[in-house]
Amino acid sequence: MNNCGRFTNLKGILKASLVISAMVVAANIAMAGALDDIKKRGYMVVATEDNYPPFEFIQDGKPAGLDHELYELLKQWAPFEVRQQILPWQGLLAGVATGQFDVALSAGSITDQRAQQLDFTMPTAEATYYYVKRKGDERIKSIKDLSGLPFGTQQGSAMQQRLPEVEALLQKLGGKLGRVSFYVSYPDAFQDLAFGRVDYVIANVVPISDLIRKRPGEFELGEAVASVTYHAWAVKKGNKDLRDFLDQFLGEQRKNGTMAKLQEKWLGKSFPDLPWVPMLPGNRPMPD
Amino acid sequence: MRFQIIIDEWPALAAGFGTTIWICAVSGVMSLLLALPVAALLMARRPLIVWPMRAIIDGLRAIPFLMLVFLFYYCLPVFGLRFSSWTCGLVSLIIYNTAYFAEILRGAWAHLPREQEEAGRAFGFYGFALTRRIILPQILISAGPVLGNQMITLIKNSAFLMVITIPELTFTANQLQAIYFTPLETMLVAVLLYWLLCSAVEGMVRVMDRVSMVRGHE
Amino acid sequence: MISEALAAEVARGTLTTVAVSVAGIAFGMVLGLVLALLRGPGYLVLTQAIAIYISVIRATPVVTLALLIFFGLPALGLAVGPFVAGVLTLTINTSAFQAEIWRAQLNDFPRGQREAAYAFGMTDFLAFRRIVFPQVWRAASPALVNEMTLLLKGSPAVAVIGVVDLTRVAVRMSSVTYEPLKPFLMATVIYIAIVMTLIAAQRTIENRLVRKYGTL
Repeated sequence: MNNCGRFTNLKGILKASLVISAMVVAANIAMAGALDDIKKRGYMVVATEDNYPPFEFIQDGKPAGLDHELYELLKQWAPFEVRQQILPWQGLLAGVATGQFDVALSAGSITDQRAQQLDFTMPTAEATYYYVKRKGDERIKSIKDLSGLPFGTQQGSAMQQRLPEVEALLQKLGGKLGRVSFYVSYPDAFQDLAFGRVDYVIANVVPISDLIRKRPGEFELGEAVASVTYHAWAVKKGNKDLRDFLDQFLGEQRKNGTMAKLQEKWLGKSFPDLPWVPMLPGNRPMPD
Repeated sequence: MRFQIIIDEWPALAAGFGTTIWICAVSGVMSLLLALPVAALLMARRPLIVWPMRAIIDGLRAIPFLMLVFLFYYCLPVFGLRFSSWTCGLVSLIIYNTAYFAEILRGAWAHLPREQEEAGRAFGFYGFALTRRIILPQILISAGPVLGNQMITLIKNSAFLMVITIPELTFTANQLQAIYFTPLETMLVAVLLYWLLCSAVEGMVRVMDRVSMVRGHE
Repeated sequence: MISEALAAEVARGTLTTVAVSVAGIAFGMVLGLVLALLRGPGYLVLTQAIAIYISVIRATPVVTLALLIFFGLPALGLAVGPFVAGVLTLTINTSAFQAEIWRAQLNDFPRGQREAAYAFGMTDFLAFRRIVFPQVWRAASPALVNEMTLLLKGSPAVAVIGVVDLTRVAVRMSSVTYEPLKPFLMATVIYIAIVMTLIAAQRTIENRLVRKYGTL
């Protein structure tokens, strides 16, 4: 009979849950701001993509890639704490634009539209869009053979916004754009390419090269389908002092050779001739 | 809050919403149709028929829907069965819900008073005609609310299909927020649209309930 | 047959799935009970607000809710990490269903017992703690366990906000090795095992309660 009071501490449990929840939430609330706010706060929050080899990805449960090594160096270089959030691409830039993160420490590429809401650092690598196809697929020998074929790219990527450029390119060659599938991450798209659900994938030249290096017998690099563009880190528009702070860091890594070494290690080759300021696609200057 | 983006991009959102409605309607109807023979098999008298069916149904109801989608999407190609994302999505949605619908119908069938079936037989109904004219209408009506609930679950499961690139509502909303940096506005609109859709389904269930009461059911 | 790396990843993913699900179930149950109690007679505005909350959450897919909480809330100034956002998503999602379960049981509770408790001089809270809740808890346990399995089956939704749960581990291992069978079959078996465990546990609890109290 003495089991009626089994939950004697219900009120206590409720109170404890509320307190713990509040503490956990409070410990995680991080509002981003310009460099002064960061210095006052004592920490900076950077966001990195979770599945974009070779720039940033997870290997055996641990973050790896070019951007992660740069992040480690930044942590030592910065006079304050640097915290990192790893999440899917689709939330990254929006998080910076809405102030959830200070920096998109990621290999996003510069586009006209993004430049309206974000300020970019100097480039970290070339991001020109190429197509990749299955090795041995004889139907595709040049860009005009892409006409009508189903293809894939990443959801929320710069290429998604620049598809009209590719469409115009194909139409000029007498063809048309086939059906497009938008994948959560490029590895998903590449896997579907191997399966045959799409006939080509449009991605940046660096992840394609990385893919071909890892799986040489299965894929083949095609041609560039859009004008040259660059990967760069991004901050909310207006946070120029924060952007200059990051540029200072990146500039140092380029001058002392670390950047070239990391690029060789992760990207397969270095990019010594990158511009020292962010550039819009086609090497157009920023409208500052 | 920049709702202007929503207004500018409403065709895309409408298309996504329409895709969700289409997928759910097609899957719902197909699942219900398939669930009838499956329920009949589950009620069969021969264990050799019931046990494998039972195992399949229980297995399907023990895994997350997304796992079933991935099994179709990523594992079948290994055996040479490479279906498009649409096919994988629709088929997995249909199969998953057939399992649940069948279980619901079987439960309603088992609860049907034996007198109904016996009276039917006394009047000369048997076999398929018995099922179609006596048993089926009754279990469909008595299971109406539970079936309606499962329909709502089906609608919610359809959102998982965004992961295999099917351009339904959640996929579209996520895409818009990734491009325009308006996460709160787009996702709120998506939630609102799902609410409208589910409320419509609940409304239909209520209408069915009233019809069934008129016809003399509890 | 199964490489060490794969086994380690799957183990990590399983742990994450279990952790996020347990947290979601625990917080969700508490929140659901609170909502059911607050919905009682009295504050009309609160009752209406809770009714709307329950109606909307029950109609929202877990994926959509996860995206709203993780990508959308920061715009309001409330930013949390992926794991916390995942727990929050599952908590909110299940709380709506839990509230309905608790409410059904609380409504069904015989008035006579409550009145007898008051006749003995118990306060509202004491009556709830010692008389109402223990019995309602027992009667609700089958529905609660059912809701737990439903939550577990909805937990892969947190993968879209970056939580590396069991499902995401399977996808990732598959897209790295291009060999999907092993990781996905392992994940399927583990999910079935967890669900079967929950169902078996529920049957055991039910039997024990029936034996001890004569009824649920």
